[in-house]
Amino acid sequence: MKEKIKAMLEDALPLVDVDSPFLFSELDSLGVTTILMMLADEFHISLEATDATPRNFKNIDSLVALVESKLQGRS
Amino acid sequence: MLCLEEYITLHATRQPNKLAIICGDDRCTYAQLERRVEERCDELRCDGFEAGRIKCLRATPSIDFLVTYFALHRLGGVAVPLERDLPEASFAAIDAELSRHSCPEATADVLYTTGSTGRSKGVMISHDTILADAENLIAGQGFTPDLTFVINGPLNHIGSLSKVYPNIMLGATIVIVDGIKDLNRFFGAFEMPAKKFATFLVPASIRILIQFCAERLAALAPRIDFIETGAAAISESDMQALCRLLPTSRLYNTYASTETGIIATHDWNSGECTSGCLGRPMPNSQLFITADGLIACKGRTLMTGYIGQPDRTATVLRDHTVYTSDIGVIDSQGRLHLKGREDDIINVGGFKVAPTEVEEAALSYPDIKDCICIPVPHRITGQALKLIVVLRDGCELNKRNIALHLKQTLEAFKIPALYESATSIRRTFNGKPDRKSYKEIL
Repeated sequence: MKEKIKAMLEDALPLVDVDSPFLFSELDSLGVTTILMMLADEFHISLEATDATPRNFKNIDSLVALVESKLQGRS
Repeated sequence: MLCLEEYITLHATRQPNKLAIICGDDRCTYAQLERRVEERCDELRCDGFEAGRIKCLRATPSIDFLVTYFALHRLGGVAVPLERDLPEASFAAIDAELSRHSCPEATADVLYTTGSTGRSKGVMISHDTILADAENLIAGQGFTPDLTFVINGPLNHIGSLSKVYPNIMLGATIVIVDGIKDLNRFFGAFEMPAKKFATFLVPASIRILIQFCAERLAALAPRIDFIETGAAAISESDMQALCRLLPTSRLYNTYASTETGIIATHDWNSGECTSGCLGRPMPNSQLFITADGLIACKGRTLMTGYIGQPDRTATVLRDHTVYTSDIGVIDSQGRLHLKGREDDIINVGGFKVAPTEVEEAALSYPDIKDCICIPVPHRITGQALKLIVVLRDGCELNKRNIALHLKQTLEAFKIPALYESATSIRRTFNGKPDRKSYKEIL
């Protein structure tokens, strides 16, 4: 899942260093929204504004953790 | 009153303890704002700043930026708020360019806006224009002294900067948040103790809020006095969705630009929810449609001209009238309806981009032999930028490297999100990029 999310981010946000340990600080509001939409569409999960926290968007690993928690909550 | 800053002094005397500006942990009352502006004036004087001088500054979302902005005006200087992420080389180039020019007396600001040729234009704004914009907004949208206005956009753009004017004039409270990237922080601004709130949101931000925060937005309905949008087209479905979420709030769609000032506005939650309707002119403005179908504006809110470009000014500003490239019609009730633009400018979520500027920057990348920048549909911003490139033999498309190269000379919003490799770029008979043929494919 991590590689898939990384590839998606690289494709959609060419200016962003997706390996950054401070991913949230690299993003603008459109970048945050783009990630929310991509993750929601790709993994068929429901994401809201409250999920777009600096903690959840800290790095790729934290995004993976966010998706996994949503998938677990769904099942 | 001759300038906006005199209202700070007035409110510092009449209501010294009223909160003027809040930004995160930084906040100041009108008395404190007055003191901070005076202290900044002293600092600028010590640095040798004097009346008539022009000063560039980065428009950070902070009280400190506004304090410097007000202090420059108070000293009789001209403020030039620039994009906060503007590359250092571009900042220095604008600074050097401006040092060769002077502004007419009573010029308050030079605001940079995108030109259709790719060359940015420094739009000169007078103190009277600022006051006229403030009066227009107060009369047209019902700003009041008990309002708390949340500014979430860049303060070097007329959309957000103009909201400082009526709030300072009336002695209301301004809350500055850094965009809507941190949506929790954005909503937190509306939860502080205050009677009623208002904000300006570009259509892309409205789209984001409807898609991801509809319930939270609806919960704020009793507290939101009004929301204004502008700078780009908003879809009728988003307008209707906002009416459902905020049934008692006024929802304004406004016609404004750096060159024309704040001209007309329409509350689409007052019974007529029509996309493209921008209402009637406000008290300090008049507008008409030219024989070519373009919108022309008159009144106190117009720019003084483009700094250092009298010929270019003359193509737009003649006989106290600004002739725009916006296509419009006026209906039987005197309301303006926007129908599109005549030039090649691409509107990305409210930010205007000249494709030629992007292409020029891309052609300086060694791997790119030819290119064209075109708009493509985007579900949030309405339009996004796509760069189609012809690469030199043996080169491979590496969009991150191209994007990083572009970032050396362009602001972030001008950098394309999408890239595609092609064997050639379609051109017209006289060699210009054939943008129309690419648009037709869309």
